[in-house]
Amino acid sequence: MKKFIINVLLFLAFLIIYFLHSNLFVWFKIAGVMPNLFVILVLFIGLYAHKYMGVIYGIVFGLLLDFFIGKKIGVTAIMLGIVGLVGVLFDKNFSKENRITLIVMVMITTVIFEIGEYLINYFVIRQPFELIPFIQVLLVECIYNAIITIILYPLMQISGNKIEKEYKGNKILTRYF
Amino acid sequence: MYNKKKYGIAGVIIAIIILIILFFLTNIQNSKMSYFENVANKVVMPIQNGLTFLKNKINGNSTFFANVNNLKQENENLQKKNTELAEKLRELESIKAQNESLKQYLNLKEKYSDYAAIPADIINRDISNYSKNIVINIGTKDGIKEGMTVIAAEGLVGYITSVTDSTAKVQTIIDSSSSTSALLSTSRDSIVCKGILNNDKQLKAMYIPMDATVSQGDTIETSGLGGIYQKGIYIGTVEKVENTTDLTNRYAMVSVAVDFKKLETVLVITNK
Repeated sequence: MKKFIINVLLFLAFLIIYFLHSNLFVWFKIAGVMPNLFVILVLFIGLYAHKYMGVIYGIVFGLLLDFFIGKKIGVTAIMLGIVGLVGVLFDKNFSKENRITLIVMVMITTVIFEIGEYLINYFVIRQPFELIPFIQVLLVECIYNAIITIILYPLMQISGNKIEKEYKGNKILTRYF
Repeated sequence: MYNKKKYGIAGVIIAIIILIILFFLTNIQNSKMSYFENVANKVVMPIQNGLTFLKNKINGNSTFFANVNNLKQENENLQKKNTELAEKLRELESIKAQNESLKQYLNLKEKYSDYAAIPADIINRDISNYSKNIVINIGTKDGIKEGMTVIAAEGLVGYITSVTDSTAKVQTIIDSSSSTSALLSTSRDSIVCKGILNNDKQLKAMYIPMDATVSQGDTIETSGLGGIYQKGIYIGTVEKVENTTDLTNRYAMVSVAVDFKKLETVLVITNK
């Protein structure tokens, strides 16, 4: 039952983020750039939930985004799936109890997601490659995502620990000793 | 005995004298008595005023208490009226917004009367920083198909890339993967306008013929080449010409006519 509620809440979080992106963030851009909360959400699932959940949620959320507004179906799904996978890898190799580590993880996954999506679009839909504007936008987006992670960190820690307890049990620290 | 008679006669005489004085006083003109009157007034009036004030106050209060119920009733009626008026105001505002929207549709239809077009509202904008697609609220049920041109009152918006039953995705001309075949209105030279990744207001006009003369303020419209857009739809004006040493590489920055940030209503051209 608890797992069901967790899944419902995660889906609800996706919908809230979607509406924030399509309505609110249009007015809260930094240098014309919006943050990417979907990356943070999928990374969060990959870090704290069951190891396949990050990938599955990444693909499902990505597909929905592609259906809603994407240029090609599947591009966002692939990249968010990869973000979920990276989340699992980060969870195996690094401690997410540290705020700085988590911020760095968010920035790295943002870079991976955007570069991957841009390259796929470049090859699939022949989107022109504009390196300097792309880097400019990517840098601002990374900083924006880092700021949002700092703000959301306490919430991520509390809810993440509860999800982790439910999916992984109370054996969280055993691997560090 | 003698004394008693003596005091009795004196009392009668004094009484008669007082009566005679009073008789004379009552027959004297008022004006001649004003001095005394003033003195009396000066002594009495402040007290009289104070008492009158208190009396009035008490009278007023009693009226207030008597009217509390009436006031409550009146207040309720006014609140009711206020609610009704607020409701009417909301209705009027809604009608006003609807009217504005219909006016926009009408203006659009009049402007592009040669084309059969369907009006639509923008219901979603791209959530990515790297693309600038929009979603409109009409789809296959309304006769919308892929490849149809989308315009606004100011000029060209883009074209339909995918359609569902009730929505359609539009690739805007400012999207970086968009290339629009265009004409310089004055010289009729063909150019290609491309979207710029981090710019919502300008297009990059490329492949300008070497012998073409491009100057600031030149208007740009669709050429009709490529088969996506109809000919002659306004795109924008040349804002800046960037001359390079090699003439083949020169380009111009085109200021887009449509303000994509504020765009709410569009028209989809259904005939080619």
